[in-house]
Amino acid sequence: MSGFITRLWALAKKEVLHMARDPQVILLALGMPLLLVVLFGYAVSFDVEDVPLAVVDQDHSPASRDFAARMDESDAFRIRFRLESEAEAEALFRADKVKAALVIPEGYARSLTRGEPTELQLLMDGADGTTARVAVGYASQMGQLETLRRVQDGLTMSMPLEPRVRTWFNPTMDSAVFVVPGLVAIILAVLSVLLAALTVAREWERGSMEQLFATPVDRLAVVLGKVLPYVALGILQFMLVLAAGAWLFDVPLRGRFVTVLLAVILFLTCSIGQGLLISMVTRNQQVATQVGAVSSILPALLLSGFLFPVENMPLILQVISRIVPARYLISVLRAVLLQGRSITDLGGPFLSLVLLAIALITLTTLKFRRRLD
Amino acid sequence: MNDSARVLVAHQLHKRFKAQEALRGLSLGVAPGELYGLVGPDGAGKTTALRIMAGVMGPDEGYARIAGKDPLSGDPAVRSMLGYMPQQYSLYGDLSVDENLAFFGKMFCLDKATFSAQRERLLHITRLGRFGDRRADALSGGMYKKLALACSLLPKPRVLLLDEPTNGVDPVSRRELWALLFELVEDGMAVVVSTAYMDEAERCHRVGLLHRGQLLMEGAPTRLMAEHGNAATFEDLFLAAVREAA
Repeated sequence: MSGFITRLWALAKKEVLHMARDPQVILLALGMPLLLVVLFGYAVSFDVEDVPLAVVDQDHSPASRDFAARMDESDAFRIRFRLESEAEAEALFRADKVKAALVIPEGYARSLTRGEPTELQLLMDGADGTTARVAVGYASQMGQLETLRRVQDGLTMSMPLEPRVRTWFNPTMDSAVFVVPGLVAIILAVLSVLLAALTVAREWERGSMEQLFATPVDRLAVVLGKVLPYVALGILQFMLVLAAGAWLFDVPLRGRFVTVLLAVILFLTCSIGQGLLISMVTRNQQVATQVGAVSSILPALLLSGFLFPVENMPLILQVISRIVPARYLISVLRAVLLQGRSITDLGGPFLSLVLLAIALITLTTLKFRRRLD
Repeated sequence: MNDSARVLVAHQLHKRFKAQEALRGLSLGVAPGELYGLVGPDGAGKTTALRIMAGVMGPDEGYARIAGKDPLSGDPAVRSMLGYMPQQYSLYGDLSVDENLAFFGKMFCLDKATFSAQRERLLHITRLGRFGDRRADALSGGMYKKLALACSLLPKPRVLLLDEPTNGVDPVSRRELWALLFELVEDGMAVVVSTAYMDEAERCHRVGLLHRGQLLMEGAPTRLMAEHGNAATFEDLFLAAVREAA
């Protein structure tokens, strides 16, 4: 056992020396997470702000002007053009000058006064589906509010039932707060898989693996000697991303840090196991990079719940997503960072991460043969 | 010589890589204090033979034994009896001479006193003492080979396997390396050296002429020359044997 520890410690120390002396590793490991968090944090946004709006006011009444003004006052829309006809709006859509057009028909004020049903038309540019969906949501909410206001004014009494929507954990529905925890998983998945895949492939290519095999080192020590330093590096990356998220986007930490740290360590063990497995099979840096990139980015991005809720996926993808470690890390991070939940509430994801980590390290150790053939 | 006197035994080794048969029933034995030269052209199967004897590759058929034990078993005791220096650059280029030695010392679990004594001795005999801080990839070809040799000698092995150790090494370093090998052999180590240089082969106690995975002839260079009296040089002897086999 003491021999195992001696060798493991020497292997881990050697790996740290490799990392410290390779500027590319430093740049990739520490520069990339910061760059990605800034890029993703600002670019991946589900918030819709200042959608350019054209108003076709065919009523020309105080009521129609009032409604248009309310649209303009909201954060979602900004009036860019005031038009006389829908045809003019279509030209602006085609020129990409506006994303939405509000058509207030003639007789709008009269219908309101008479208490008749009134229709407002909102035309949206469906080419940008995400913006269109969110903006329609905002607009219909504004329409409902306007109706309520009118009803209240007309009856001069308070409504018996007034909906008041409160969004918990992310009250301003800020995308970055939601995105950054997911981003942690993406960054850690991609970088850990890639760096781990490269380190073993490099040893195969440079021939040092052959010299290592001629020593009494056992395969578990070689695998763990690679895993431990990269877990430490991953923790450093995690803290960097978390600090950047808190500083730039006010991402909170409502739960205990140790809970997320534990999940991150388990997740990193899975990702590094995956990277080592890839490089043991490919034994080639170039192929390991390609396989590592595809097998880490795609599942972490598409099957983890980062962009699309897992519950909305077809059954087969839901089943596959069960072996994607990023899925569990993201749910733990969102639960602990945003909701302040504790480890006792998160038994399921933690158990899944433990099982996946054990499975991947076992598979990697078994696959790793102390032989060149 | 019977097998019990031999610290290294290879028996009927066969190895195939897809369509290519690298070894076709290679058998050899090396006694303590013997310098054995495995001679052959490129592609003869020298590297495969050494890899199998070093336990870093498995044979399809046959076996290798180091002091009666299987080098493939992973038994640390067997590994520590074996020093192996691959043909290609196999140390950590970004680590210094001292760091490489310290790393491989830990792999063999040498205690501090033993490592320290071995390190001093090996740096002295390889004349690398002044270059302890130099990174391995900044060493000359000859110095790099000496460092690789020093790393493989750390556990004081009983058997040393060297795959073309003087390939790409200048004449001065070559001479130094051979002088070192003779010292090791005098101390009782069994050494197997693969080489494509005939002048080096002539220095060995015994040589095996390997061609297409088979030994064409084996014996002391002087005896082989005497048996084939029509060859003027050892190189002629070798070329004639290869021509005959073809």
